[in-house]
Amino acid sequence: MNNTLLSLTIAILFGIGTFLILRRDIVRVIIGLGVLSHAVNLLIVSTGVFSGTKVPIITDDGGHGAAEATGSIFTDSLSQGILAPIIEAGHHVDYVDPLVQALVLTAIVISLATTAFILILAYRIHEEYGTTDIRELRRLWG
Amino acid sequence: MDSFTAITIAVFLPFVLAGILPAVAKLLKDKIGWYASATALLSLLMVAQVAPEIIHGETIQGTIEWLPSMGINLSFYADGLSIMFGFIVSGIGVIIMSYSNGYMSTKEDLPRYYQQLLFFMGSMLGMVFSANTIQLFIFWELTSITSFMLIGYWRNRPMSVYGATKSLLITASGGLFMLAGFLVLHAITGTFDIPTILHNESIREALQNHHLFIYALILIFIGAASKSAQGPFYIWLPNAMEAPTPVSAFLHSATMVKAGIYLIARIHPMFSGTEAWFILVSGVGIFTMLLAGFLAFRQTDIKGILAYSTISQLAYLMTMYGYTTHEEPGIGVAAATFHLLNHATFKACLFLVAGIVAHETATRDITKMGGLRKEMPITFIVATIGALSMAGIPPLNGFLSKEMFYEASVEMGHLLGGPYTILIPALAVLGGVFTFAYSIKLIDGIFLGKRPTKGLPEHIHDPSMVMLAPAIFLAGLIILFGLVPSIPVHNFIEPTVSGIILEEAHLHVKLWHGFTTSLMMTIATFILGILIYTQYDRIAEWQNRFNAMFPWISVNYYYDGAVNNAKDVTFKFSSRMQPGPVKNYVIAVLLLTLAMFAIPAMMLGTNLIPQNLNFDVPLYEALIFLFMIVAALGAALLPRYLPAIIALSGLGYLVALLFIYLQAPDLALTQVLVETLSTIIFLLALVKIPQKFKEHIPTTTLARDLIISVAVSVMIFILLINATQGIVAPFESLSYYFIEKSLALAGGHNIVNVIIVDFRGYDTLGEISVLCLAALGVYNLIHSRGEDE
Repeated sequence: MNNTLLSLTIAILFGIGTFLILRRDIVRVIIGLGVLSHAVNLLIVSTGVFSGTKVPIITDDGGHGAAEATGSIFTDSLSQGILAPIIEAGHHVDYVDPLVQALVLTAIVISLATTAFILILAYRIHEEYGTTDIRELRRLWG
Repeated sequence: MDSFTAITIAVFLPFVLAGILPAVAKLLKDKIGWYASATALLSLLMVAQVAPEIIHGETIQGTIEWLPSMGINLSFYADGLSIMFGFIVSGIGVIIMSYSNGYMSTKEDLPRYYQQLLFFMGSMLGMVFSANTIQLFIFWELTSITSFMLIGYWRNRPMSVYGATKSLLITASGGLFMLAGFLVLHAITGTFDIPTILHNESIREALQNHHLFIYALILIFIGAASKSAQGPFYIWLPNAMEAPTPVSAFLHSATMVKAGIYLIARIHPMFSGTEAWFILVSGVGIFTMLLAGFLAFRQTDIKGILAYSTISQLAYLMTMYGYTTHEEPGIGVAAATFHLLNHATFKACLFLVAGIVAHETATRDITKMGGLRKEMPITFIVATIGALSMAGIPPLNGFLSKEMFYEASVEMGHLLGGPYTILIPALAVLGGVFTFAYSIKLIDGIFLGKRPTKGLPEHIHDPSMVMLAPAIFLAGLIILFGLVPSIPVHNFIEPTVSGIILEEAHLHVKLWHGFTTSLMMTIATFILGILIYTQYDRIAEWQNRFNAMFPWISVNYYYDGAVNNAKDVTFKFSSRMQPGPVKNYVIAVLLLTLAMFAIPAMMLGTNLIPQNLNFDVPLYEALIFLFMIVAALGAALLPRYLPAIIALSGLGYLVALLFIYLQAPDLALTQVLVETLSTIIFLLALVKIPQKFKEHIPTTTLARDLIISVAVSVMIFILLINATQGIVAPFESLSYYFIEKSLALAGGHNIVNVIIVDFRGYDTLGEISVLCLAALGVYNLIHSRGEDE
């Protein structure tokens, strides 16, 4: 997906996220992780392999169905099972890449889980030690 | 019941009945020991059922498939060798568990004790009947682990813990060497199946001519030596004496320590007949025999003397199994096998006596004892029979097998020729002399002489029959085997020897066989033994002085050094690797990543920014980009938490919006839901965290962090524009497969959904597990507050 402004935006988000995770305040670090995970998700989605522009949902409108559209692209007989198909470079596919979307979908949900966990961790740290400053915490732990 | 079933039951019955033992213990209370004895008896009966077939010269083999594709199965093989071990293990098991009823106080944790004993017995039986090297390894390590737990039975005593750890470290890591040896063996022979190698002459010949032969031999021998406390590995056995005495009698004299001997006997047909075998097995054997026999002198603990004597006696067995020539590979096999059986009887008997004496006098220190023959007459007689058998006095069974040992030594020396004709028999006699001396010391020190005036309880007497009967039974066996050697020879020794030398064996063992060389050697042993015994205390004293003078001439010195230093070294290592705040690691990781990017980038030169940049985006998309940057800056710069979090969630919703433009409706939907949820969690958590701390960033830190951040930004930007513009060539993608097969295989139109729930369903399962774990973690964190708050 050739979109320089999108790449620039993602790069800037990375920079901001990096700056945040280098802070001393735990809450800032968590916010930084949030920014970083958005940036990573966008990065993965934007690097999909196909030049197609359609949403990866197969429609039943005749000749544009995926099964027919891509039916002849396999060049070896082993591809019926688990092996990845071999295909010549630059083959046109109507859709955007569905695989990166599936990966990112999982990543989004998992980042929710980790965010929730570290937030509660920060909350408990604050409750036990009365501070969210990492350096102060190290001093308290000795 | 066919024989294979009987063996399978004999192996697994102890495991099953040990599993339900805690429940039975609630019913039987203090009598639980008899349940364990009954279990051992059942295993013994199962083994006995198979015995007639084996005595007739047959072997039994059977397989239950486990990993057939890798040639690893649950398979059992019974020949004379395994049956003899089966009898020793289950038979001594019955004796020990009955004896424990008298020895172990009812205040002890009896269910744990008997459960572990049964687990051990099952593992040991499983090992001797294994037809498969991998299975043998598994049972082998199981015996190491159960031994570890039994040595450490008294968990609060530091010496128990020390002894248990030492035995586990040495025997279990030795087992790993053995496993490596088995893998080399597999590489040579192409099979894990022991009978296949044993019964196929061409495989054995190929093995002996293979260039990996010596490595397989050395690796497997290390396993055997560590288990049987040979060579430098002997140091764990004396410390294992911290176990309850019945455990020492069972594991550390009669059975487990013989596992190494079993292994040597088992691989004897594969490796013997070579010079390497003789040098390695007999060499280490003779060395250990003399060293351990000599070191027994300075022991004052009865069990310590017995421990060193066990090491020395095991070394006899090693030496005898090691006697080999190419023409006659099994010179000492018959002698070794007979002595193995005899040692199991007299050493177990002596350990039981040691247990009785310690139980009655409340000490194990031989220097505090003496003159107990009047107070414990039966114990005295039993102990004398055991010790005299060990010393090799006729007509007891130890005499017979020691004669055979001398005979084999003479033959081996004769076959080697040269100085060895004298040297090997002489070393054998020297080993016998040491054995004679410490055997006499046991009797003299405990039962003869004068009773010390203090240090012993006033009334000492023979124990109850529960403890006495097993010892008397073993003493009876010692006499029986000595007077009528044809019983053990015909039933155990001949089938075993046939199994090892792989041809029909006929042995003639008689109590009186004329004035032979070996009889002369025995007489010489007695005379020298008595002479050495007169100097016993002086030798012990000299050993103590030597030890005090040169503490570094001892394997223990290096073991303790290594183990203690390991703690310090790892501590130093980790404190060097992890010196300070997490931030430093983050910076280190970032800098490394940047370097990994920058070095190839510089080598590529100028073409980092492609020419055909595409700034052609619709206005609304450009606006979304702008808002995203503003929101991210807000999250970073807004000083208070609440506005920063609102900015962060704004960024999340903008990302969702962008997903729609990127043709990813599922992502947009998920992102909206997740962002909502995570905003709520953020707010819930931050309500509880008041913002007290405000970081003041020094200029240098700010500059450093900004430089790193900008560098990361630039790196990502360059990588991305190259990746998305096809300068990095698109590689073959899995995605075609999913587009092609989504409808055909999974019947789903939405390809992303199909990937998630169908093609990559296990990933999603993993994702759900992560969510569950996070939820559990959150729950526990919230509930982990101290009681007082």
